[in-house]
Amino acid sequence: MSCAAAVAAADFELPALNSPPSGEHHAGKMVWADLVTPNLAAAEKFYGTLFGWTFQSTRAGNSDYAVAMLDGRPIAGMLEKAIPSGGRHQSAWLTFLAASDVDSVKKTALAHGAKLLAGDRSYPMRGQQCVLSDPEGAVFALLASSSGDPPDYLPVAGEWIWTSLHAKDAGAEAAFYQQLFSYDVFEAPSDDGLEHLILSSDNYARASANDLERDSAHRHSHWLNFVRVNSAVETAAKVRALGGRVLVEPRPDRQGGMLAVVADPAGAPFGLMEWSDSDSKEEPK
Amino acid sequence: MNTRNRLRVGIFGAMTLALLSACAVTGVGVEGSVGYDGGYYEPSGYDYGGWGVGYRVGPSRCCEHRDDHHDHPVNRGHAGRAPAYHPAPAGRSAPSIPGRSRSH
Repeated sequence: MSCAAAVAAADFELPALNSPPSGEHHAGKMVWADLVTPNLAAAEKFYGTLFGWTFQSTRAGNSDYAVAMLDGRPIAGMLEKAIPSGGRHQSAWLTFLAASDVDSVKKTALAHGAKLLAGDRSYPMRGQQCVLSDPEGAVFALLASSSGDPPDYLPVAGEWIWTSLHAKDAGAEAAFYQQLFSYDVFEAPSDDGLEHLILSSDNYARASANDLERDSAHRHSHWLNFVRVNSAVETAAKVRALGGRVLVEPRPDRQGGMLAVVADPAGAPFGLMEWSDSDSKEEPK
Repeated sequence: MNTRNRLRVGIFGAMTLALLSACAVTGVGVEGSVGYDGGYYEPSGYDYGGWGVGYRVGPSRCCEHRDDHHDHPVNRGHAGRAPAYHPAPAGRSAPSIPGRSRSH
Protein backbone atom coordinates (compact mmCIF):
# COMPACT_ATOMS: atom_id res chain seq x y z
CA MET A 1 0.00 0.00 0.00
CA SER A 2 1.46 3.35 -0.93
CA CYS A 3 1.68 6.27 1.43
CA ALA A 4 -0.57 8.26 -0.86
CA ALA A 5 -3.21 5.57 -0.75
CA ALA A 6 -2.89 5.27 3.00
CA VAL A 7 -3.63 8.92 3.58
CA ALA A 8 -6.04 9.53 0.71
CA ALA A 9 -9.02 9.52 3.01
CA ALA A 10 -8.13 12.82 4.62
CA ASP A 11 -10.70 14.17 7.01
CA PHE A 12 -10.58 17.69 5.67
CA GLU A 13 -11.31 19.58 2.48
CA LEU A 14 -9.39 22.30 0.74
CA PRO A 15 -11.28 24.79 -1.41
CA ALA A 16 -11.37 24.66 -5.18
CA LEU A 17 -9.05 27.05 -6.98
CA ASN A 18 -11.90 28.19 -9.20
CA SER A 19 -15.57 28.50 -8.55
CA PRO A 20 -17.18 27.91 -10.95
CA PRO A 21 -14.62 25.64 -12.62
CA SER A 22 -12.58 27.37 -15.30
CA GLY A 23 -12.14 24.40 -17.60
CA GLU A 24 -8.72 25.84 -18.48
CA HIS A 25 -5.28 24.26 -18.19
CA HIS A 26 -2.06 26.24 -18.26
CA ALA A 27 0.93 23.97 -17.80
CA GLY A 28 3.68 25.48 -15.73
CA LYS A 29 1.66 28.44 -14.49
CA MET A 30 2.01 29.31 -10.81
CA VAL A 31 -1.47 28.63 -9.51
CA TRP A 32 -1.09 28.43 -5.74
CA ALA A 33 1.30 28.97 -2.85
CA ASP A 34 1.37 27.50 0.63
CA LEU A 35 3.13 29.12 3.54
CA VAL A 36 4.46 26.95 6.32
CA THR A 37 4.81 28.84 9.56
CA PRO A 38 5.19 28.10 13.25
CA ASN A 39 2.66 30.82 14.14
CA LEU A 40 -0.47 30.92 11.98
CA ALA A 41 -2.14 33.72 13.92
CA ALA A 42 0.89 35.97 13.50
CA ALA A 43 1.06 35.18 9.79
CA GLU A 44 -2.62 36.00 9.32
CA LYS A 45 -2.15 39.33 11.06
CA PHE A 46 0.90 40.20 8.96
CA TYR A 47 -0.47 39.28 5.54
CA GLY A 48 -3.96 40.49 6.34
CA THR A 49 -2.66 43.92 7.26
CA LEU A 50 -0.20 44.05 4.37
CA PHE A 51 -2.41 42.90 1.51
CA GLY A 52 -5.97 42.95 2.82
CA TRP A 53 -6.20 39.17 2.72
CA THR A 54 -8.93 37.55 4.76
CA PHE A 55 -8.78 33.99 6.03
CA GLN A 56 -10.89 30.89 6.27
CA SER A 57 -9.56 28.49 8.85
CA THR A 58 -9.79 24.75 8.74
CA ARG A 59 -8.31 21.88 10.65
CA ALA A 60 -6.27 19.97 8.09
CA GLY A 61 -5.78 16.61 9.69
CA ASN A 62 -3.35 17.25 12.50
CA SER A 63 -2.50 20.76 11.31
CA ASP A 64 -4.18 24.15 11.39
CA TYR A 65 -4.60 25.55 7.90
CA ALA A 66 -5.97 28.88 6.71
CA VAL A 67 -7.01 29.77 3.19
CA ALA A 68 -6.13 33.34 2.28
CA MET A 69 -8.86 35.08 0.29
CA LEU A 70 -8.84 38.26 -1.76
CA ASP A 71 -12.02 39.62 -3.30
CA GLY A 72 -13.72 36.32 -2.49
CA ARG A 73 -11.13 34.23 -4.30
CA PRO A 74 -8.79 31.76 -2.60
CA ILE A 75 -5.23 32.73 -3.44
CA ALA A 76 -2.95 31.03 -0.93
CA GLY A 77 -2.79 28.65 1.98
CA MET A 78 -1.06 28.93 5.33
CA LEU A 79 -0.14 25.88 7.33
CA GLU A 80 0.89 25.95 10.96
CA LYS A 81 3.51 23.37 11.60
CA ALA A 82 6.17 23.06 14.26
CA ILE A 83 9.68 23.79 13.05
CA PRO A 84 11.39 20.42 12.57
CA SER A 85 13.82 19.48 15.26
CA GLY A 86 17.43 19.09 14.27
CA GLY A 87 19.09 21.20 11.64
CA ARG A 88 18.11 24.78 10.94
CA HIS A 89 14.90 25.59 9.17
CA GLN A 90 12.93 28.65 8.27
CA SER A 91 9.42 29.46 7.22
CA ALA A 92 8.86 29.45 3.45
CA TRP A 93 6.34 29.79 0.67
CA LEU A 94 5.92 26.69 -1.48
CA THR A 95 5.25 27.36 -5.16
CA PHE A 96 2.61 25.25 -6.93
CA LEU A 97 2.93 24.88 -10.69
CA ALA A 98 0.01 23.67 -12.78
CA ALA A 99 0.13 20.21 -14.31
CA SER A 100 -2.77 18.50 -16.00
CA ASP A 101 -1.39 15.07 -15.07
CA VAL A 102 0.61 15.09 -11.84
CA ASP A 103 1.71 11.48 -12.10
CA SER A 104 3.07 11.88 -15.60
CA VAL A 105 4.91 15.13 -14.87
CA LYS A 106 6.24 13.70 -11.62
CA LYS A 107 7.67 10.70 -13.45
CA THR A 108 9.34 12.99 -15.97
CA ALA A 109 10.76 15.08 -13.14
CA LEU A 110 12.13 12.04 -11.32
CA ALA A 111 13.67 10.76 -14.53
CA HIS A 112 15.51 14.07 -14.90
CA GLY A 113 17.02 14.33 -11.44
CA ALA A 114 14.21 15.52 -9.19
CA LYS A 115 13.48 14.01 -5.77
CA LEU A 116 10.06 13.27 -4.40
CA LEU A 117 9.46 15.01 -1.08
CA ALA A 118 5.76 14.30 -0.64
CA GLY A 119 3.93 11.79 -2.79
CA ASP A 120 0.70 12.25 -4.69
CA ARG A 121 -2.25 13.21 -2.59
CA SER A 122 -5.76 13.98 -3.73
CA TYR A 123 -8.07 16.49 -2.15
CA PRO A 124 -11.51 16.30 -3.76
CA MET A 125 -12.06 20.03 -4.24
CA ARG A 126 -8.43 21.07 -4.69
CA GLY A 127 -7.11 18.30 -6.91
CA GLN A 128 -4.01 16.12 -6.97
CA GLN A 129 -0.65 17.38 -5.87
CA CYS A 130 2.86 16.32 -4.93
CA VAL A 131 5.99 18.06 -3.69
CA LEU A 132 9.37 17.71 -5.40
CA SER A 133 12.83 19.18 -5.30
CA ASP A 134 14.43 19.91 -8.64
CA PRO A 135 17.96 18.77 -9.60
CA GLU A 136 19.50 21.69 -7.70
CA GLY A 137 17.26 21.21 -4.68
CA ALA A 138 14.73 24.00 -5.22
CA VAL A 139 11.43 22.82 -3.77
CA PHE A 140 8.21 23.13 -5.75
CA ALA A 141 4.85 21.41 -5.99
CA LEU A 142 2.74 20.15 -8.86
CA LEU A 143 -1.01 20.66 -8.78
CA ALA A 144 -3.67 19.26 -11.10
CA SER A 145 -6.56 21.42 -10.04
CA SER A 146 -9.97 19.73 -9.94
CA SER A 147 -11.58 22.98 -11.02
CA GLY A 148 -9.11 23.85 -13.77
CA ASP A 149 -6.41 26.47 -13.61
CA PRO A 150 -7.11 30.14 -12.91
CA PRO A 151 -7.78 31.99 -16.17
CA ASP A 152 -5.07 34.23 -17.58
CA TYR A 153 -6.06 37.57 -16.13
CA LEU A 154 -3.83 40.35 -14.89
CA PRO A 155 -3.69 39.87 -11.12
CA VAL A 156 -4.98 42.70 -8.96
CA ALA A 157 -2.92 44.26 -6.18
CA GLY A 158 -2.52 41.71 -3.41
CA GLU A 159 -2.47 38.70 -5.75
CA TRP A 160 0.50 36.64 -6.89
CA ILE A 161 1.80 38.08 -10.12
CA TRP A 162 5.13 36.35 -10.79
CA THR A 163 7.50 33.66 -9.70
CA SER A 164 11.24 33.43 -10.21
CA LEU A 165 13.65 30.56 -9.86
CA HIS A 166 17.13 31.28 -8.55
CA ALA A 167 19.65 28.56 -9.30
CA LYS A 168 23.33 27.90 -9.69
CA ASP A 169 22.81 27.02 -13.37
CA ALA A 170 19.70 28.73 -14.68
CA GLY A 171 20.14 27.20 -18.13
CA ALA A 172 20.23 23.62 -16.84
CA GLU A 173 17.27 24.31 -14.58
CA ALA A 174 15.33 25.85 -17.45
CA ALA A 175 15.99 22.70 -19.45
CA PHE A 176 14.64 20.61 -16.57
CA TYR A 177 11.43 22.60 -16.26
CA GLN A 178 11.07 22.69 -20.03
CA GLN A 179 10.91 18.89 -19.94
CA LEU A 180 8.05 19.13 -17.47
CA PHE A 181 5.96 21.93 -18.91
CA SER A 182 7.12 22.39 -22.52
CA TYR A 183 8.01 25.98 -21.74
CA ASP A 184 9.24 28.31 -24.43
CA VAL A 185 12.54 29.62 -23.09
CA PHE A 186 13.81 33.10 -23.89
CA GLU A 187 17.12 34.56 -22.95
CA ALA A 188 16.55 37.88 -21.23
CA PRO A 189 19.10 40.63 -21.58
CA SER A 190 21.09 41.49 -18.50
CA ASP A 191 23.90 43.75 -17.47
CA ASP A 192 25.29 41.57 -14.72
CA GLY A 193 26.90 38.79 -16.71
CA LEU A 194 24.52 36.24 -15.25
CA GLU A 195 21.99 34.15 -17.13
CA HIS A 196 18.37 35.28 -16.88
CA LEU A 197 15.69 33.35 -18.76
CA ILE A 198 11.97 33.83 -19.27
CA LEU A 199 9.83 30.68 -19.24
CA SER A 200 6.54 30.99 -21.08
CA SER A 201 3.54 28.90 -22.04
CA ASP A 202 0.38 29.80 -23.95
CA ASN A 203 2.38 32.83 -25.11
CA TYR A 204 2.45 34.29 -21.62
CA ALA A 205 5.48 34.67 -19.42
CA ARG A 206 5.07 32.29 -16.47
CA ALA A 207 8.35 32.52 -14.60
CA SER A 208 11.98 33.45 -14.84
CA ALA A 209 15.05 31.34 -14.19
CA ASN A 210 18.06 33.23 -12.94
CA ASP A 211 21.64 32.38 -12.09
CA LEU A 212 22.40 32.92 -8.44
CA GLU A 213 24.99 35.55 -7.76
CA ARG A 214 28.47 34.12 -8.16
CA ASP A 215 29.43 34.62 -4.51
CA SER A 216 26.85 32.03 -3.74
CA ALA A 217 28.33 30.13 -0.80
CA HIS A 218 25.43 31.28 1.34
CA ARG A 219 22.76 30.91 -1.29
CA HIS A 220 20.73 27.94 -2.35
CA SER A 221 18.38 27.28 -5.23
CA HIS A 222 14.82 28.35 -4.56
CA TRP A 223 11.62 29.67 -6.03
CA LEU A 224 10.51 33.17 -5.06
CA ASN A 225 6.93 34.36 -5.51
CA PHE A 226 5.91 37.98 -6.05
CA VAL A 227 2.73 39.78 -5.01
CA ARG A 228 1.48 42.68 -7.10
CA VAL A 229 1.61 45.96 -5.18
CA ASN A 230 0.84 49.55 -6.06
CA SER A 231 4.03 50.81 -4.46
CA ALA A 232 7.02 48.64 -3.65
CA VAL A 233 8.52 51.42 -1.53
CA GLU A 234 5.43 51.90 0.60
CA THR A 235 4.76 48.18 0.94
CA ALA A 236 8.38 47.46 1.93
CA ALA A 237 8.12 50.15 4.61
CA LYS A 238 4.94 48.52 5.83
CA VAL A 239 6.68 45.14 5.97
CA ARG A 240 9.31 46.65 8.29
CA ALA A 241 6.64 48.26 10.45
CA LEU A 242 4.89 44.90 10.80
CA GLY A 243 8.04 43.13 11.97
CA GLY A 244 9.30 41.76 8.66
CA ARG A 245 12.59 42.47 6.90
CA VAL A 246 13.56 43.93 3.55
CA LEU A 247 16.02 41.63 1.80
CA VAL A 248 16.29 43.52 -1.48
CA GLU A 249 15.46 47.21 -1.27
CA PRO A 250 12.93 48.48 -3.82
CA ARG A 251 14.71 48.82 -7.14
CA PRO A 252 13.93 49.10 -10.82
CA ASP A 253 13.65 45.85 -12.75
CA ARG A 254 13.11 45.40 -16.48
CA GLN A 255 11.85 48.52 -18.21
CA GLY A 256 11.92 50.37 -14.90
CA GLY A 257 9.23 48.42 -13.07
CA MET A 258 9.88 48.42 -9.33
CA LEU A 259 10.27 45.32 -7.20
CA ALA A 260 11.58 44.36 -3.78
CA VAL A 261 12.21 41.18 -1.82
CA VAL A 262 11.04 40.98 1.77
CA ALA A 263 10.58 38.41 4.50
CA ASP A 264 7.68 38.05 6.89
CA PRO A 265 8.30 38.03 10.66
CA ALA A 266 8.90 34.26 10.59
CA GLY A 267 11.51 34.70 7.85
CA ALA A 268 9.56 33.49 4.79
CA PRO A 269 10.86 35.40 1.76
CA PHE A 270 8.58 36.74 -0.96
CA GLY A 271 8.67 39.48 -3.54
CA LEU A 272 6.77 42.70 -4.16
CA MET A 273 6.26 43.80 -7.75
CA GLU A 274 4.68 46.93 -9.12
CA TRP A 275 2.76 46.53 -12.34
CA SER A 276 0.68 49.07 -14.21
CA ASP A 277 -2.27 48.01 -16.33
CA SER A 278 -0.38 49.14 -19.43
CA ASP A 279 2.79 47.15 -18.62
CA SER A 280 1.53 43.90 -20.16
CA LYS A 281 2.19 43.53 -23.82
CA GLU A 282 -0.38 41.21 -25.30
CA GLU A 283 0.92 39.15 -28.15
CA PRO A 284 -1.25 37.70 -30.87
CA LYS A 285 -2.03 34.06 -30.13
CA MET B 1 -0.72 -13.39 26.43
CA ASN B 2 -0.73 -16.65 24.55
CA THR B 3 1.40 -17.40 21.52
CA ARG B 4 -1.37 -16.63 19.03
CA ASN B 5 -2.01 -13.21 20.56
CA ARG B 6 1.72 -12.46 20.66
CA LEU B 7 1.88 -13.32 16.97
CA ARG B 8 -1.06 -11.03 16.21
CA VAL B 9 0.52 -8.15 18.14
CA GLY B 10 3.80 -8.76 16.35
CA ILE B 11 2.19 -8.75 12.90
CA PHE B 12 0.21 -5.62 13.71
CA GLY B 13 3.36 -3.87 14.97
CA ALA B 14 5.31 -4.87 11.88
CA MET B 15 2.55 -3.63 9.56
CA THR B 16 2.36 -0.31 11.41
CA LEU B 17 6.12 0.09 11.20
CA ALA B 18 6.08 -0.71 7.51
CA LEU B 19 3.34 1.85 6.85
CA LEU B 20 5.19 4.55 8.78
CA SER B 21 8.36 3.74 6.89
CA ALA B 22 6.52 3.98 3.60
CA CYS B 23 5.31 7.42 4.57
CA ALA B 24 8.76 8.71 5.42
CA VAL B 25 10.05 10.18 2.22
CA THR B 26 13.77 9.93 1.74
CA GLY B 27 16.07 12.90 1.42
CA VAL B 28 15.27 16.25 2.89
CA GLY B 29 11.60 15.83 2.39
CA VAL B 30 8.37 16.28 4.15
CA GLU B 31 7.24 13.44 6.30
CA GLY B 32 4.03 11.78 5.34
CA SER B 33 1.27 12.16 7.89
CA VAL B 34 -2.44 12.39 8.24
CA GLY B 35 -2.04 16.17 8.08
CA TYR B 36 -1.73 18.38 5.07
CA ASP B 37 1.70 18.10 3.49
CA GLY B 38 1.77 21.20 1.31
CA GLY B 39 4.05 23.09 3.69
CA TYR B 40 7.78 22.80 3.51
CA TYR B 41 10.42 24.40 5.74
CA GLU B 42 13.46 25.63 3.85
CA PRO B 43 16.92 25.28 5.34
CA SER B 44 17.89 28.46 7.13
CA GLY B 45 21.14 30.36 7.08
CA TYR B 46 20.99 31.27 3.41
CA ASP B 47 20.98 34.73 1.90
CA TYR B 48 17.93 35.59 -0.17
CA GLY B 49 19.01 39.17 -0.77
CA GLY B 50 22.19 40.85 -1.84
CA TRP B 51 21.23 41.10 -5.48
CA GLY B 52 23.79 42.97 -7.52
CA VAL B 53 23.12 45.91 -9.80
CA GLY B 54 21.46 44.72 -12.99
CA TYR B 55 20.09 41.51 -11.46
CA ARG B 56 16.67 41.51 -13.09
CA VAL B 57 14.14 38.78 -12.56
CA GLY B 58 10.77 40.14 -13.65
CA PRO B 59 8.88 39.71 -16.90
CA SER B 60 9.36 42.12 -19.75
CA ARG B 61 6.94 45.00 -19.85
CA CYS B 62 5.44 47.05 -22.52
CA CYS B 63 6.86 50.23 -23.81
CA GLU B 64 6.09 52.90 -21.27
CA HIS B 65 9.05 52.62 -18.93
CA ARG B 66 11.45 51.10 -21.37
CA ASP B 67 15.06 51.57 -20.37
CA ASP B 68 16.43 48.54 -22.14
CA HIS B 69 17.50 49.16 -25.67
CA HIS B 70 18.30 45.53 -26.26
CA ASP B 71 15.18 43.81 -25.01
CA HIS B 72 14.92 41.24 -27.74
CA PRO B 73 16.20 37.87 -26.67
CA VAL B 74 18.82 36.37 -28.83
CA ASN B 75 18.91 32.85 -27.41
CA ARG B 76 22.55 32.29 -28.15
CA GLY B 77 23.10 30.45 -24.92
CA HIS B 78 24.94 31.99 -22.02
CA ALA B 79 28.48 33.21 -22.66
CA GLY B 80 28.46 31.60 -26.08
CA ARG B 81 27.72 28.11 -24.76
CA ALA B 82 25.02 26.07 -26.42
CA PRO B 83 22.07 26.25 -24.04
CA ALA B 84 20.91 23.15 -22.19
CA TYR B 85 17.34 24.12 -23.00
CA HIS B 86 15.72 24.37 -26.40
CA PRO B 87 15.56 28.08 -27.08
CA ALA B 88 12.44 29.71 -28.43
CA PRO B 89 12.68 30.42 -32.14
CA ALA B 90 14.91 33.31 -33.05
CA GLY B 91 12.96 36.43 -33.84
CA ARG B 92 10.30 35.83 -31.22
CA SER B 93 10.47 38.19 -28.31
CA ALA B 94 9.63 37.08 -24.79
CA PRO B 95 5.95 37.52 -24.03
CA SER B 96 4.75 39.37 -20.99
CA ILE B 97 2.18 38.36 -18.38
CA PRO B 98 -1.55 38.49 -19.14
CA GLY B 99 -2.93 42.01 -19.43
CA ARG B 100 -6.64 41.27 -19.52
CA SER B 101 -8.48 42.33 -16.37
CA ARG B 102 -11.25 40.27 -14.82
CA SER B 103 -13.81 42.96 -15.43
CA HIS B 104 -13.51 42.59 -19.20
